[in-house]
Amino acid sequence: MKSEIWLFSGGLLFFLPIAFVYGLLTQWNEPVGFVCLLLTAGLAVLVGGYLAVTGARIDERPEDNPRADITEGAGEQGFFSPHSWWPLALSFGAALVFAGAAIGWWLSIIGVAFSIVFLIGWVFEYFVGEHAH
Amino acid sequence: MNRPNVVSVGVIVWLSSELMFFAGLFAMYFTIRAVAPQMWETGPTLLNIPFSSVNTAILVVSSLWCQFGVFAAERFQPRRTGGLLDFKRWGMIEWFVLTYIFGAIFVAGQVLEYAELIHKGLSISTNGYGSVFYLTTGFHGLHVVGGLIAFLMVIGRAFAARRFGHAEATSAIVVSYYWHFVDVVWIGLFAVIYILK
Repeated sequence: MKSEIWLFSGGLLFFLPIAFVYGLLTQWNEPVGFVCLLLTAGLAVLVGGYLAVTGARIDERPEDNPRADITEGAGEQGFFSPHSWWPLALSFGAALVFAGAAIGWWLSIIGVAFSIVFLIGWVFEYFVGEHAH
Repeated sequence: MNRPNVVSVGVIVWLSSELMFFAGLFAMYFTIRAVAPQMWETGPTLLNIPFSSVNTAILVVSSLWCQFGVFAAERFQPRRTGGLLDFKRWGMIEWFVLTYIFGAIFVAGQVLEYAELIHKGLSISTNGYGSVFYLTTGFHGLHVVGGLIAFLMVIGRAFAARRFGHAEATSAIVVSYYWHFVDVVWIGLFAVIYILK
């Protein structure tokens, strides 16, 4: 996973020094840029660090081997829903919640009620009924 | 296992974008403080530091309980095998219920803190300090509430599943990632708002 790890962690090598350069150039009088550049370095290291830890824990993937065959990548990739109406329904509920902030909080309450039902429907779609496992 | 779990990688990428959301809140806080430093002479004196320190400790400890729940989920053990107080044999559900209780105490403590501050005359519309205080801590509080809802869903899934397998364990693990993230963000917010002032 070396290429993926450096693709993301590379941001650390840029944003961390730049944060201190920014701090020095502003004589540490302007904390916004320094803090946000540090957190941007955090953005890079969060993904890069996670991939590094995961990469050390799993076996070498076919993608890491230049001489690998396509067939070596076969097998379970993860669970993917073939289709689902719940995300659309939930986005409708969420839209009501945020529309309530502009129109009136009563609308948000209705939106929350809808959202709870649709969220439960989505989360449990493959855990109850004919798809239960 | 020969490949990273797509759900875990997706959650980490999403959390890195959440980090940028909170970076925006930090930027707002420091900008207002730079523009109107006189508000910081009166605003932070209203804060009840001992109370919020205890509240912070409760949230940090809840992260520990959450991690014990993850260890149970990684053993594929949803329920306890011993008595209720025999915590060494607790399953994921017991640990996550404990995490939920601690998280709920944190949110309740924050509501109490808000009520006290409004009583002292600091509301979101009082001045710039009130605005940034309630926006930063409030958005964090909403994230904690979202995490509490996520814990309910994971516990519900553990009850709904006939056999506690990889799918159930994965949802427990990614919710723990989120919970630890929200915890770390609070430590940053607490350091800036309550200690650094």
